[in-house]
Amino acid sequence: MDKTWKIQDLGKGLKNSFRAILKGEFLLRLNVGRYFIHIVYTFFLIAMVIWISLMIEGTMTKVERNKAILRELEIVHTQKTFDVVKLSRRSTVNEMLEQMGSKVTEPKEPATKLVK
Amino acid sequence: MEASTVEIKKKRDRIGVILYVIYVLLLLASVLLFVKIVGIQIFFKPDPKIETALTPSSRPRYIEPVRGNIIDCQGRLLAMSCPTYQIAMDCTVRREEFAKDKDGAAKEAAWMKKAGELSVELAKVFPEKSAEEYLKLIRNGRANGKKYLRIGKPVDRNVYNRVASFPLFKEGRYRGGFIAEQQNVRIYPYGKLARRTIGFVRNNRSDVGNTHVGLEGKFDFVLHGREGKEWLKVTDAGRVVDNDSTKTRPEDGKDIRTTLNIDYQDIAWRSLYNEICAEDDLEGACLVLMETGTGAIRAMVNLYRDGKSTDFEEVSNLAIGRAIEPGSVFKTVTLMQVLSDGYVKSLDETIPTNHGVIKGVRGVPQDVHMLDHERVHHTNSISIIDGFKISSNYVFGSLAVSNYSKKPMRFIENIHSYHLGEAFAFDLDGLATPTVPSPKDKNRYWSLSDLAVMGYGYGTRVTPLHVLSFYNAIANKGKMMKPYLVEDIELNGEVKNKRGPALMSTICSKAVADTITRALKAVTEEGTARRLKDARCTVAGKTGTSFGTYSGGSYRDEMGRRKYQGTFVGFFPAEEPRYSVICTVFSKPTSKQFQGGGIPARAIKNLVNGIYCIDPCFQPELSASK
Repeated sequence: MDKTWKIQDLGKGLKNSFRAILKGEFLLRLNVGRYFIHIVYTFFLIAMVIWISLMIEGTMTKVERNKAILRELEIVHTQKTFDVVKLSRRSTVNEMLEQMGSKVTEPKEPATKLVK
Repeated sequence: MEASTVEIKKKRDRIGVILYVIYVLLLLASVLLFVKIVGIQIFFKPDPKIETALTPSSRPRYIEPVRGNIIDCQGRLLAMSCPTYQIAMDCTVRREEFAKDKDGAAKEAAWMKKAGELSVELAKVFPEKSAEEYLKLIRNGRANGKKYLRIGKPVDRNVYNRVASFPLFKEGRYRGGFIAEQQNVRIYPYGKLARRTIGFVRNNRSDVGNTHVGLEGKFDFVLHGREGKEWLKVTDAGRVVDNDSTKTRPEDGKDIRTTLNIDYQDIAWRSLYNEICAEDDLEGACLVLMETGTGAIRAMVNLYRDGKSTDFEEVSNLAIGRAIEPGSVFKTVTLMQVLSDGYVKSLDETIPTNHGVIKGVRGVPQDVHMLDHERVHHTNSISIIDGFKISSNYVFGSLAVSNYSKKPMRFIENIHSYHLGEAFAFDLDGLATPTVPSPKDKNRYWSLSDLAVMGYGYGTRVTPLHVLSFYNAIANKGKMMKPYLVEDIELNGEVKNKRGPALMSTICSKAVADTITRALKAVTEEGTARRLKDARCTVAGKTGTSFGTYSGGSYRDEMGRRKYQGTFVGFFPAEEPRYSVICTVFSKPTSKQFQGGGIPARAIKNLVNGIYCIDPCFQPELSASK
């Protein structure tokens, strides 16, 4: 027997659904009791997503803080490198040796190379 | 039995009712929540100010790439990026707070006392103002509500750390008014050494037209890298990277390994600077050291004194940017031509001295050296090598005229084949295009005197780098190497683009190169560059002196003063050349003389002696085996 769908069925369905919701039987009426564990699992996953998002936000905050620290350290490193390289200039080394009263000066002859 | 069943049922009903009530309450709450969400999302219109303040907006952050370094051939840093800090002060901090406080007057006095201590410290670091002046500025700034008082020029990290620890400033931005604006700048650990060669990039706001200079300018596209972009979102802990958004990572700039050796650059700088620093009549000088076998430039010194400064600075690249009449160093070009074309077979061949007057040529000055030669040697002939040693204009003018007067284009073509007539591709912008007169030039009258003067180094205009490349080809047995400054392009030590040596052409045979080397050696042993005879290793080379022209083409001004351009160019060791070198000095209008055999030869002698002691190729070998 063919059952034709009518518009008043929609109202009836909504009314039944509302009553079922009020009675707390909506899911049972849908006969999805056997999927209950899946529904609970879905809610669990949603909760996890929210929780992980908050954790990520916390991590990203730490990343930003660490980035700032790294930037500072890089600046310090660059400055130290600059200072060291500046001091390594040949004339500067000569001047410093002279100021310190060292007898070390530029070589007067090339060094001898030992070969096997 | 029945009674107990009823009791259980009642109990169950009570539990059921409680659960049902809880359920309904939760349901109502969820419905309320849903309605509220719909209301807020669709119907609620908050105050725009509150909306802006509370809406967590994402905004882009552009990540600047790290600009690549410029390093020397041994990996030492020549140019790097580092932040500098512009120190400033917010003079108004806590003023309002103190004004409202009942103990405000005492607190204000304490704050000002610290400001006094700060002023004393500031005067030590930024001595352009005294402590009293700084204190006055802070006091006036506080009275006038000045929120940004600039203090001194930008400083490096070390000074920043020191300033940040000063009284008041150590209390930070909101209590001490300490402001430090960070800006990334380029720094050069070796100071003035090779500054013009390394160059710079000015921002577009600069009022100077040339914003891209030297290697920094020419290779800006390699050094700069590519900007990155990421989106930030606001959280309770501040702005963090929005993980759900797109992100473009920055591409750091690549490093440039140059051919420069900063030790040699330092020696070259000292060798030249010490010779010229006391000469008030010099405008500038340049010195270039090139590796013979490769054409790699190991040192390039450019010292120039403009009207603004009293000391020499690296502000203009004279070695590549100034094309001048080379003078006698060009006689080697004539010599190479007559040897290669077979007009002269031996350096000992002689030509008549003819009292120093070139036959059939008008308008060329008499060579007085020939009169001396005739008188001293009681002869009316001179050998080519003797003419070369004393740098006789007559000999080389005569060689050019007698051999090329009927085919002057052959002479011109030879010059072009030596790459002395072209601005070849070079690693720096600004290589001046040489000028070589030609009989084919319809805008210029050509005569034999043009050929004669070209024979001894006038008429043509070339840069010191052109002359050096030519002499380097002689040292390299005829093979002309392309001068270059960039060895390779690297990223984190890995070579991404190898450049290196390139052969331009072979300009003469080995035999001709050897013959010219003999002549050049004679110049340093017995000729105009005898000063180099006692250098620590043998040098072969040629001196040259020419004069700059004034308006109207005259070589003297109304007071009879000349602008000297003295050059020495050569290579060492003469027997097995490893390096070629040129030094040119440029004088202001002067009555003094600045010959190629003077300052340039002395500077090169100092350089040769300095390099000889440290370059591994000069180290003698000692066998360790017994």
